[in-house]
Amino acid sequence: AAAFERRVLRSAAEHHYLRVRLELPDGGARPNAAQFKQLVVTALRELHGEVGAALPVDVLTYEEKTLSAILRVISSGLVKLWSALTLLGFYQNRRCAFRVLQTSPFLLALSGNSRELVLD
Amino acid sequence: HAALSRRYVLCEVVSEDPRCRQCIEDRALGLAIRDAIARVHGDYGLACCSISFTGAGETGGPWGCGVPPGPSPVRVSPAVKYLNAYTGTVLLRCRKDSYRLLCSALPFVRSLESRAQRYPCFLNTLHVGGTIRTCQKFLIQYNRTQLLRLLQNCTNEEERQCIQKSLLSCSLTEEQSQSGDEEEDDGTE
Repeated sequence: AAAFERRVLRSAAEHHYLRVRLELPDGGARPNAAQFKQLVVTALRELHGEVGAALPVDVLTYEEKTLSAILRVISSGLVKLWSALTLLGFYQNRRCAFRVLQTSPFLLALSGNSRELVLD
Repeated sequence: HAALSRRYVLCEVVSEDPRCRQCIEDRALGLAIRDAIARVHGDYGLACCSISFTGAGETGGPWGCGVPPGPSPVRVSPAVKYLNAYTGTVLLRCRKDSYRLLCSALPFVRSLESRAQRYPCFLNTLHVGGTIRTCQKFLIQYNRTQLLRLLQNCTNEEERQCIQKSLLSCSLTEEQSQSGDEEEDDGTE
């Protein structure tokens, strides 16, 4: 009889990936990549203090035109990052909002988005 | 309905400056600890630990949505439960779910401020217990060992005689009104 083994891994991924978009009112300077990361770290510092600001967050890609980015964070810090992005209200005294478009433990999964699929 | 579990953190204030003793009061300490939590854990940590020295830090579950906590007695609960300025012992209270936030922020308290005077100090965590009674038991034991250690480290004969006299004069008395024993004094009286 053939023996087989089944392994189930729950929450085994090390990092989580988020595709986010920053909504800013028109007019006014748009943040560049460094300022965008500074904004994310500021949001974490406001809500979660120095411990939150020290969370390893990386901005993998950033498009200044659309203000959208892909963030990577350690899995244990996903809740802190997402809650901090949700509660961020201001960028340089202008109203702003973060929209989280996709999230996944696998980067490949962010390449396709069935919500933006156009069916003929 | 589950009971609200608490954790009591026993710590001591250590400072090189002897004038720091006068800053050991509940308002100054509560402020310093609250600042440290706000710095280290942000708005979320501050709300979780709800350290407050004037009270009204926690309104609880017993009220439903329709009953506002009006003039009926709101439970005022300051989080600094016990202070001893002579030994620098402090007992803090917080919820069981967030005691780790409090304990991890205590090393970041670097100074105490009171009456426009700021003195550097640090907090040593001695014990974390689930009830005030267990913390009291630990404190009695700890004070006993500290007294013996102080006796060993005496530099001159005068101090030694003094401490020996205080040690021998300490005693446990049974309070008539309460059921527990009185806590042993640390010999400064």
